[in-house]
Amino acid sequence: MNHETVLEIENLSLNFGGIKALHDVSLTVKNGEILAIIGPNGAGKSSLLNCINGFYKPQAGKIRFNGIDLTGLSPHKIAKLGLARTFQNIELYSGLTALENLMAGTHIHMKRGALAGMLFFGPAKKEEIKFRKKIEKIIDFLEIEAIRHEQVGSLAYGLRKRVELGRALTLEPKILLLDEPMAGMNMDEKGDMARFIIDVVELNQIPIVLVEHDMDVVMDISDRAVVLDFGLKIAEGLPKDVYTNSKVIEAYLGGNEDE
Amino acid sequence: MVFSSYDTMPKCFLKTYQEVHAKKKIAMRVKDEGIWQPYTWYDCLQKVKFLSLGLASLGFMRGEKAVIIGENKPEWYWAELAVQSAGGVVVGVFTDCIPSEVKYYILDSEATLVIAHDQEQVDKIIEIKEEVPNLRQVIYWDEKGLWNYEEKYLYSFETVFELGIKFEKENPDSFEKSVAAGNGSDIAVLCYTSGTTGNPKGAMLSHQWLVGSGMSLAELDKWKEECKGYLSFIPPAWATEQCLGFGCLLSGIEINFPEEPETVQQNVREIGPELLFYSARLWESVSRTIQAKMADSSRLRRFIYRNGMRIALRVADTKMLNNSPGPLLKIGYWLVFQTLLRQLRDRLGLSNVAVAYSAGGALSPEIIKYFLAMQVEVKLFYGLTEAGIISIPPKGDIRPESSGVPTPWAKIKLSEEGEILVKSKYLFSGYYNKPEATEKKLRNGWFHTEDFGHITDDGHLIVIDRMQDMKPLGNKGKKFSPQYIEVRLRFSPFIKDALVIGAKDSENVGGLINIDLDNTGRFAESNGIPYTTFTDLSQRPEIIELIAQEIKAINKTVPGEFRLKKFANFHKELDADEAELTRTRKIRRDYVEGRYGDIINALFENRKTHSVETKITYRDGKEGVIKTNIHINSII
Repeated sequence: MNHETVLEIENLSLNFGGIKALHDVSLTVKNGEILAIIGPNGAGKSSLLNCINGFYKPQAGKIRFNGIDLTGLSPHKIAKLGLARTFQNIELYSGLTALENLMAGTHIHMKRGALAGMLFFGPAKKEEIKFRKKIEKIIDFLEIEAIRHEQVGSLAYGLRKRVELGRALTLEPKILLLDEPMAGMNMDEKGDMARFIIDVVELNQIPIVLVEHDMDVVMDISDRAVVLDFGLKIAEGLPKDVYTNSKVIEAYLGGNEDE
Repeated sequence: MVFSSYDTMPKCFLKTYQEVHAKKKIAMRVKDEGIWQPYTWYDCLQKVKFLSLGLASLGFMRGEKAVIIGENKPEWYWAELAVQSAGGVVVGVFTDCIPSEVKYYILDSEATLVIAHDQEQVDKIIEIKEEVPNLRQVIYWDEKGLWNYEEKYLYSFETVFELGIKFEKENPDSFEKSVAAGNGSDIAVLCYTSGTTGNPKGAMLSHQWLVGSGMSLAELDKWKEECKGYLSFIPPAWATEQCLGFGCLLSGIEINFPEEPETVQQNVREIGPELLFYSARLWESVSRTIQAKMADSSRLRRFIYRNGMRIALRVADTKMLNNSPGPLLKIGYWLVFQTLLRQLRDRLGLSNVAVAYSAGGALSPEIIKYFLAMQVEVKLFYGLTEAGIISIPPKGDIRPESSGVPTPWAKIKLSEEGEILVKSKYLFSGYYNKPEATEKKLRNGWFHTEDFGHITDDGHLIVIDRMQDMKPLGNKGKKFSPQYIEVRLRFSPFIKDALVIGAKDSENVGGLINIDLDNTGRFAESNGIPYTTFTDLSQRPEIIELIAQEIKAINKTVPGEFRLKKFANFHKELDADEAELTRTRKIRRDYVEGRYGDIINALFENRKTHSVETKITYRDGKEGVIKTNIHINSII
């Protein structure tokens, strides 16, 4: 695995009116690593992900992905470059089946137009079959064979999160951003998800940026951690070092005025 | 390749190969990545051959044991035949065994090799590797997640194949020689008996046992003539699958493997197999699912189902009494078949079924009748790991309670106490390393089954219960069979498990009920009954009333003195991980009776509630305590 830098963020600042959501944040993501972004509520973790994938336009700073400047690009263009993400509040088509949701994820790579697709003829059919094969590999990988034809809206929470991860994988991403993939899960589901995340990195040799609240998870699976507090990066390093960093403890537990 | 006799599994495998290979026949099919992927006989032979040579190249010797632990997949079959071709013995282990159980099997069988399915199973072996010093290699077939494991003793199937191909170049014809060196009396498989009592014992089954019991059953029930496909999903660690699955393979019947254990019901519908084995539990659960789904469906559908089944069940009744239905009933049945049963059969994947089996536990007559009504003859056979298949109902003579008539290769007699004793051409070769246990069970050529039963005037065997489970009722020396009632209780869609107990000082019978969470939960939802947990739901007055009604209905079908007078609902689900159930999901009666002794006492005292505190183990190994009040209820 080569450890070259995949994603580079330089002096990023994002303001909503007078509120500084992100202030002068810099970080790099290297190939094949799991980078955790942690911090208290409102620290700017999700904002940072939203800047990276183009939902928010930062006022200052640069985001470079494999050497390409992402600032100013629209979200669908960024997705096409190989940057996929999942959301804190699952964003799936709840009326469609798990399989259909995954198929929807591949449209970005489809070359045939809507009309050809509707007629399901010749090259369009071939293309659909090709993608279905890819998706079946993902279904196998995430062990969701049994729910392939079930409506996503009726699935248990942990399974929906898995389908969402699956959809992100259909983009064949070069980097994956996961926004609280384990929020609201029980211990079993967390264990499964942690295993899938590690397997994704091992199998696809891509880096993962992980926003997570659960410190146990962060300690267990991430290679490095970055801590945000009120839009500022206050620490960066190995999870165990970050965990004992006094600034971080202060941010989480509140500072002592006398010191 | 011609052998002087065909008395081992690998020899018969090669023989069938020669018979069917030219026709490019499919041997196996597995659903993978959403598609049924076929393997021809040629593919299978290549896999078996090079895997076997690969094992030889790793130093696996004749007579050594290899544990196989995995779901039903072609790889299981290839691994078994490969081990046997190399002269080894297969030890099948259930996939849901915990590491300490796997350790017991490896140590008890003295296995030197483990063939494991995936990361989950490999992790178990790694955990106990230090404690099983004789284990040399672990081979796995699903590499997912195992890419970066660095243990030196781990080999993938592909690696072993390559070793095999290299070995073949250096030692030409060694596969054929190794197969030819096998003998019918060699041990082929160690099948651990499920262990309702004591530690599991490894029953040694010879090649003759495997080949013979599979092929004789195939001949008896005309598999070759009537069957094209079989769905393999009962654990191959179980002697039944060894007999049925490998019997099918050697008969040239296609073996289909489901995608995942959870997708069996979908997959069976896609395949529509002719030959099918469901455990008693599964037949029950299928009929239970239909009933629950029907209760949820529209009024018109419920009407068609209710009245249609009434006619169909009447036809089944006349069939069971060996009468023929009248002309009016015949016309009615034809109509019902076209409008209801055909679709139902299709939904359940039973459209093509020619031979359907069940065994390994009592099956309620209601269930047999239910499926007979849709023209599926469920043959409840009586078989033992130690003695093969002993009795089976003949075609067209399905009777309630009966396990059929003795097979041509077996003899049955009853001891004075009513214990079933059997003799069979296919008897096991003893328990591995436990000669005293063998002597205890096998006396004067008769195998003592420890099952209580009787034989009807026309030779049908009726198995009532385990000898040890015949329980005293009251203090006047009366005995009754709790299982007899439990089976009938389980027919209710709302009852998943039941433990029936006789009182010590009166002739009262009481029951502890494990409600079915899915179905009672659905009932609660559609009736607007709020609940939080299983514990809460089980003690809701509405649910207690529901169960009471179910028991009342069932009471009508059992002899007066065995009827349930008291019951209570379990506050937690019985769980195999807490040793309350065996791995095949039978209740471990003594253990459960001991554990919940205080509830049982409360049952027969005149009390309304009883408070309990139970330690439970969660799936992740953490322990917790449930404190609650259990309601004791009377049936009036």
